[in-house]
Amino acid sequence: MRPREPLTPEQERDLEAIDHTLAGEPVELELRELEELVRDIRATAPAMTPAFAARLEQEVSDGFPTPREPPVRVRVRGRRWLLLPALGSLAAVLVALVVVLADGGDDTNTPMGRAAPSEQAAPAAGGAERDEAPAPGRDEAADQAARAMTPAPATSTAARAPRAPSAGVTQTPRKVQRSASIALQTPEDEFDRTTDAVNTTVARFGGIVASSQIGASDERGGEATFDLRIPTDRLDRALAALAKLGHVTERSQGLDDITGSFSSARARLTDARAERRGLLRALGRATTEAQIDSLKAQLRSVAGRIRGLEGALESLRRRADLATVSLTVHGTGDGPQAGGGGQWTPGDAAGDAVRVLEVLAGVLLIGLAILVPAALLGALIALGLRFGRRRRREAALDPA
Amino acid sequence: MATPHNTSAGSFDALYRESARDLYAYVRTLLGDDAAAEDVTALAFERAYRRRATFDARRGSQRGWLFGIARNAALDELRRRRRTAPLVGDLPDERAPAPEEEADLAVRRTTVRAALAALSPRDRELVALKFHGGLTNAELAAVLGTSQSNAGTRLHRAVAKLREACNAPA
Repeated sequence: MRPREPLTPEQERDLEAIDHTLAGEPVELELRELEELVRDIRATAPAMTPAFAARLEQEVSDGFPTPREPPVRVRVRGRRWLLLPALGSLAAVLVALVVVLADGGDDTNTPMGRAAPSEQAAPAAGGAERDEAPAPGRDEAADQAARAMTPAPATSTAARAPRAPSAGVTQTPRKVQRSASIALQTPEDEFDRTTDAVNTTVARFGGIVASSQIGASDERGGEATFDLRIPTDRLDRALAALAKLGHVTERSQGLDDITGSFSSARARLTDARAERRGLLRALGRATTEAQIDSLKAQLRSVAGRIRGLEGALESLRRRADLATVSLTVHGTGDGPQAGGGGQWTPGDAAGDAVRVLEVLAGVLLIGLAILVPAALLGALIALGLRFGRRRRREAALDPA
Repeated sequence: MATPHNTSAGSFDALYRESARDLYAYVRTLLGDDAAAEDVTALAFERAYRRRATFDARRGSQRGWLFGIARNAALDELRRRRRTAPLVGDLPDERAPAPEEEADLAVRRTTVRAALAALSPRDRELVALKFHGGLTNAELAAVLGTSQSNAGTRLHRAVAKLREACNAPA
């Protein structure tokens, strides 16, 4: 930056005298010498030759028919300036599209404000996904338990794989039983399609419909309840997919630690097996008929216990591997959340208008977030270029 | 007449008539070469003509805008030639003095030419813009891209050097 130098009174007086002289006006007596100098300098001004003056006059009156430099150069420069905001706008539109599409996806019935956890948002690692927004009813303990689950691969095989014993103590892999409850609302005319889609979705994630009850769909709508079993490691993705089938009105998840029961059953099974081995050895050593009968009776009893314990253990494994999901689908004929079904009411219109405004505001915000820094950067670059160009030009005035 | 924000064809013609001689004098002083001065002057008018729609009266006068274009073209020419031009050529003085003043004037103007030639190129350009181009101090500041007070200070210094050189004993 050049320092600002205010003019001194003497400088102001001299400059005024110069301007007066150039304008043909008289100046003060003591400045006559300056006046003469100004006139002399003015008189030394080079003049155009008549030939050049005539040529220039002709060119001006013809509108410069033969360009000395290609006009494209000027236009291209201008367009380069326009590229920055244009690129910024394009980037904003692209980002906005990605955001809108990622948020909306095929979830046409889920309002943005109540977005259910989407499958795209879930991490790719199997079983490690967690919902972006905590589901209603999910308490802190459940959250902690879910976090504790996350690092371990949640596949059945991995869950069953024994971990390395520490200090001689055999650790039982943690076993948890997950459960979820979800209620969907769907337009009445979408009810049948939605209930069919439940079966398809459950099958897609390797789950089974343990039981279902589907009520008749009439003008007041219908109701269907499903008792589902979903592989635990796919539960979150399956819930996200199920949530997309309608408007989620209720959702909860639970987590039950069954490690204790599992360890206890396994220990008892081990004991029972050891007892059986002992009985078998005793049977081999028995000499009397009474001893043999008694031992056989005990062996039958132990074998029964072992079968029972094996069954219990298997049942616990299934509980850990398959999450229980209770799904309810309500078909509504005229509810405010009916989405595309039924009549389009002023309330629906207002809702749609708010939704459109929300999306527009989002797009605008994203656009500004990109355009403002891009414009600032562009302005800085432009200023720098301009400053550099001026300096390079003015360097021509410096002595060689 | 110019619209508030740009230059129409009619006002360009007026601008040309009002500025052509001064512009040429400035460019010729800066470049020190007749042929180059003619080329640059014509180029400056052509650029101004083609860009007349971009003139914004809020950013300064038409005359300042035109001299800015000419200055850029002249500096580009100087850069191209990679040499500093001598200030004064051998043009005849068209304003012939009265016979009784001729000798005195001739001496004074020779002195002035010599003093001008002794100035640095930047000071010489300032003098050319002000006295040959006839720019106001505001226009001068706009062309040089500086503040009006800074332009005035620099001009005053250049004139002081000229006065000193002209008053120095031969």
